[in-house]
Amino acid sequence: MPGAPPAAEPRRPRPAPRTPPVPQAGGADLRQKGEETMTEPERPRPGADRDSAAWWELVRGHRLAVQRCTGCALLRFPAREYCPACRSRSWEWQDSAGTGRVASWTVTHQPFHPAFAAEVPYTVLRVALDDGPGLHCWGRLAGAGPEVLAAGLPVEAVFTDAGPGLTLVDWRPAAPRR
Amino acid sequence: MGAPLRDAAAVAGVGYTPFGKDSGVSTTTLACEAILAALDDAGLGPEDVDGIATHRVGDSSPPWVVAPALGIEDQGWYLDQFGGGSVSHAVLGQAAMAIAAGVAETVVCYRAINARSEFRMGGQGRPPAGAFDLQYQAPYGLLAPAQHYALLARAHMLAYGTAHEHLGAVAVGQREKAAGNPRALKRAPITMEDYLASRWIAEPFRLLDCCLETDGACALVLTSAERARDLRRPPVNITAAAWGGGHSSYSGAGAGGIGADTTTSAAARLAPRLYAMAGLGPADVDVAELYDCFTWTVLVQLEDYGFCAKGEGGPYAASGALRIGGELPVNTHGGFLSEGYVHGINHAAEAVQQLRGDAGPRQVPGAEVALSTAQPGYVLAGTSALLLTAAR
Ligand SMILES: [Zn+2]
Repeated sequence: MPGAPPAAEPRRPRPAPRTPPVPQAGGADLRQKGEETMTEPERPRPGADRDSAAWWELVRGHRLAVQRCTGCALLRFPAREYCPACRSRSWEWQDSAGTGRVASWTVTHQPFHPAFAAEVPYTVLRVALDDGPGLHCWGRLAGAGPEVLAAGLPVEAVFTDAGPGLTLVDWRPAAPRR
Repeated sequence: MGAPLRDAAAVAGVGYTPFGKDSGVSTTTLACEAILAALDDAGLGPEDVDGIATHRVGDSSPPWVVAPALGIEDQGWYLDQFGGGSVSHAVLGQAAMAIAAGVAETVVCYRAINARSEFRMGGQGRPPAGAFDLQYQAPYGLLAPAQHYALLARAHMLAYGTAHEHLGAVAVGQREKAAGNPRALKRAPITMEDYLASRWIAEPFRLLDCCLETDGACALVLTSAERARDLRRPPVNITAAAWGGGHSSYSGAGAGGIGADTTTSAAARLAPRLYAMAGLGPADVDVAELYDCFTWTVLVQLEDYGFCAKGEGGPYAASGALRIGGELPVNTHGGFLSEGYVHGINHAAEAVQQLRGDAGPRQVPGAEVALSTAQPGYVLAGTSALLLTAAR
C-alpha cells in the first residue's frame, strides 16, 4: 500500500440509500430521481440490467472482474451475454488486475444533480484497464487532486462502500512499482 | 443511376417558432406553429400533408397529437423516432425515403422542445431517456451530456494537442456569424478573452462551450423533387442521406474494443457512404452545418467528414477557414451555441436557406452543396447526415 496520498480531493460520505438495492431495467430508476420529494436527494444508483447484475454483485464483494470468452479468450466489459468476436455465449468471470491508465477525465463544476451539488468540483476518470485492449471503466479520482492527472497515469481500483448494498469502484494514483 | 434515394426528394419549405428561454406554450403548440410556417413557406397547407415525422426523448408532442391538432385527419406515413440529436437527420432521411418509395408525397418533419423551461438535458440530473448504459457512470456523478462530451474532448486534447483556444475559436467564430441571424438568441460578439473567462461547467468545457438550452421548434416540408419544382420556393434536393454508428460512449468500448478510441466519431464510418451516394466529396461542400451541442463536436466532425486531417480540427477551426468567405463556412447561423438548440433540425433548415440563396447577411456566396449533420454518434450509438444541393 502506498503512503497517504497528498492533497486528498474533498469528498463527502455517500448517504445511505433508503431502500435495499433492487436491480432495475437499464436507466429506468435514474430517470425518476428528479421527482423525489424527500428532503435529501438520493444518489443515482446503478440501474443494473440482466447482463450486469452479477457484475455489480461482484463489486459488492470488492471484486473487479471482466468477462472472458471461453470460446476465443476475448476479454470484454461491460457485461454482455454474447462474445462479439466468436458469438459464443460461454464465458467466465476473470478477476481484473485492478490497475489501469487514465484515458480521460473531467472536473465537474456545475451541480447537474442535487445529490452531487455539495461535492463540486469533483473529478471522474475514464480508465483503460491494464487487463487488455478496449476495456474501460469510470470512477471518481480518489486520494489526489486533478492536478496530478496526465494521459496514461497509472491508477489502481479502490472500492468505496457507499451504503447498504452499494459498492462503487474509484481510482487512485497507483503506488510506484518496485 | 445510383441510389434510388439520390435527389428523389427535396425540401420545399422551412419554418420556425421564435427561439427563447420560456415559450410559455406546449410543445404541441410549438410544433403546429413551426409546421404551419414551413407549409406557408412552401406555398402549401395542412391539406397537402400525407406524412409527418419527428424524434423525441420523452420530451415532446408526437405526430399522433400534432397532426390532429392541425386538422389533419389522416396523417398518412408517420415516424415517431426515439432519440436525440443523433437521429435528427435520420428523421429527414427517412422522410426522403418514404417519398422516394412512393408511400408519401409531402411530409412535414418537426422537432419541438421546451429544452429550457420544461425538459433540461442533464440540467436537473435527468439523464437522457434510454441511456441504457449510464449505470456505469451515473453513480459517480457523471450524468449530463456536458460531462460525457468533456471526457471525449479531453481525450482529443491529450491525443492531438487540441487546445482550449481551439475550442474557443469555434465559440467565438460562431457568435460572429450569429450577428447576421435575426433568429439567433445570442448575437453580441464575444472575444477569446470572454471565452477563456467564462466559468467552468465540466472541464475542459466552459459555459461558452455549451449550446443554448432553448425553447422552440423548427419544421421542414419535404416533397418529391419533381413536385418541389412547381412550388413557391427554389427547391433544395436531398442528394444523399446516410446513417451510421452502433456504439455509445456511455457504455465504454463495445465488447471487443469497438469504439474504444473516442477521438474518432461515428461520422468517420458514415461519411464515405454519404459522399458515395451523392457522387461528391468534401472538396465539393460549400457550406457545412455541423452538430454543435459543444464546441468540440465541430472539431471532430471537421476531421471525420474529411475537411482536414485527423487531429487537425482545432488548428483548422482556428485558422479562420470556418468564416463566411473562408474555405469552409461552418454553422453560418451561429449553431446551437448562438442561434439556439433545436436538436439538429435547425442545422438542416439553415443549410436549405443557404442553398436557396436567402440567408441574408450570412449568405455564403454561390453555395450549391451543403452538408448538414446530426450529433456525431457518441450518445445512443448512431449518427446521421444529409448532403443537400441547390436544384437549379
Ligand atoms: Zn469469443
